Amino acid sequence: MANQRPQAQPQQPQPLPQHAIERIQGMRGAQGQRFFTSDLSVKEYLLIRESGFEAAGLVMGSSIYHVGYQRGNWSTNMEMNVLTQALYHARELAMARMEEEAHELGAHGIVGVRLKIRQHTWSTDLLEFIAVGTAIYPRDDKQNWRAPNGRPFTSDLSGQDFWMLLKSGFRPVSMVVGNCVYHVAHQTLGGWFKTVGQNVEMTNFTQALYDARELAMERLQYEAQSDGASGVVGAEIFEWTHGSWDPHVIEFFAVGTSVLPIAVTEALPTPQLVMTVDS
Amino acid sequence: MTAQAPPARPPRAFTSDLSIDELLLVEEVGFEPVEFVFGTSYFHTGWVPAAWTENFELTQVSAMMLGARRVAMQRLLAHAQQLGADGVVGMRLDMEREGHNAEFTAYGTAVRRRDGKGAAWHDRHGRPFTCDLSGEDFWGLVRGGFRPLALCHGVCVYHVAHKSLGAWFSSLSQMTMNMEQPQFTQALYDARELAMQRMQWEAGDAGGTGLVGVEVRESSHGWEGHIIEFVGVGTAIRPIDDATHEVHEPPQVVLFAADAPSPG
Repeated sequence: MANQRPQAQPQQPQPLPQHAIERIQGMRGAQGQRFFTSDLSVKEYLLIRESGFEAAGLVMGSSIYHVGYQRGNWSTNMEMNVLTQALYHARELAMARMEEEAHELGAHGIVGVRLKIRQHTWSTDLLEFIAVGTAIYPRDDKQNWRAPNGRPFTSDLSGQDFWMLLKSGFRPVSMVVGNCVYHVAHQTLGGWFKTVGQNVEMTNFTQALYDARELAMERLQYEAQSDGASGVVGAEIFEWTHGSWDPHVIEFFAVGTSVLPIAVTEALPTPQLVMTVDS
Repeated sequence: MTAQAPPARPPRAFTSDLSIDELLLVEEVGFEPVEFVFGTSYFHTGWVPAAWTENFELTQVSAMMLGARRVAMQRLLAHAQQLGADGVVGMRLDMEREGHNAEFTAYGTAVRRRDGKGAAWHDRHGRPFTCDLSGEDFWGLVRGGFRPLALCHGVCVYHVAHKSLGAWFSSLSQMTMNMEQPQFTQALYDARELAMQRMQWEAGDAGGTGLVGVEVRESSHGWEGHIIEFVGVGTAIRPIDDATHEVHEPPQVVLFAADAPSPG
């Protein structure tokens, strides 16, 4: 069960809004007349070019999602699968749209992907999921940097990290995520009496949070493996609770970039020691 | 001073909000600071009636919010031009709102080419360039073979539908369901795309081949929560045509002696 992705359906190409299509056409331009936008800093932009890539354009996807209601059992540690599914599916939709924008741009991948969740004041039961990143393509059009499934690769790497990763002989495959919404049991009165005034580990709570994190990471790992990647770099695990949830309900969200070794690697130059003058 | 006169060194000292590192780097690529310049505009953002049950753009408000920013930037640019500057670095645009009035202020440091060949650095309409790049980023960009043209904006003010009574009742029955809300998704997605598209137009108009450091900001500015302003901001750039321009070497891997990497 833990090995299942919360949602089994394959990622469908998502339809794009009218202005997205117009904007992408504007960036593709006529033959050889590309125009790019990017949220890369100047340094990142230069490093992307240094790695043999060009920025294709800023790409974005969004999904406004109604997250269903699920009641957690007061005294039980349990995963809230309805909420896990909702948050996973909504992110997937936003990311699939962003990927579709990159695909339309003819890009081979997306760097610097950021996932954001917003709650708007006008409707508290809706959450907006936004994915933003910069689509890039190799200057040498004989190269193919797309993910094994033929879609653009995705990664949350900065321009600096991307450059370093390539230099050290790896390429990004996809941004992988795993999540788990967990209900942490309330302590029973009996349990409170047993532990009051003592130094003791709250095994109940430890186990719940430990388990939830492991589930999120396991799913992230599963995503990476099914993408055919050899590993995940920069994995991070976040936890947050949504404003209108019971505070005992927590989402653990793991995100990272899966990578594959490149056949031909140039040796990474030996790092040099530099002492900066400013503190 | 006529426009044709060679830019004589002004007898007074320059002012700038550049840090020491930034100043040295700006000087290093052949520029000198002239003066700290700014421009302001004061606008009545008005009251926007909004109790509709539809999603749509408030086109007049969009135009006004863009216009207010443009006026502030034009005033800054006029000041820079008067000083004989070739561009403005570290430009930023602040907005301060008091009730229904908003003051837009653009700040930046006007810089001038030391070799007097500043005209090659102006945008397609012959105006001095503007950018929100720090001195470090400006140096990096120029050394990388690009030059900034203009700080570009795109604005879209959007009204998100209120739920009708019928929709509210049907939402009760959906309370336990996980589902996407396509009408809202579409609306906000579209609004962001519009803001970005308009920013792209501005960049194309300035003669840019691309935009770096793009950000899409959103705010309700104290309007009702259903009205959201999306603003795309970024610096338009293009390659330097001058064949004699020196492009710097590939970056080196560096280990810092301090634990935390120094900024930049």
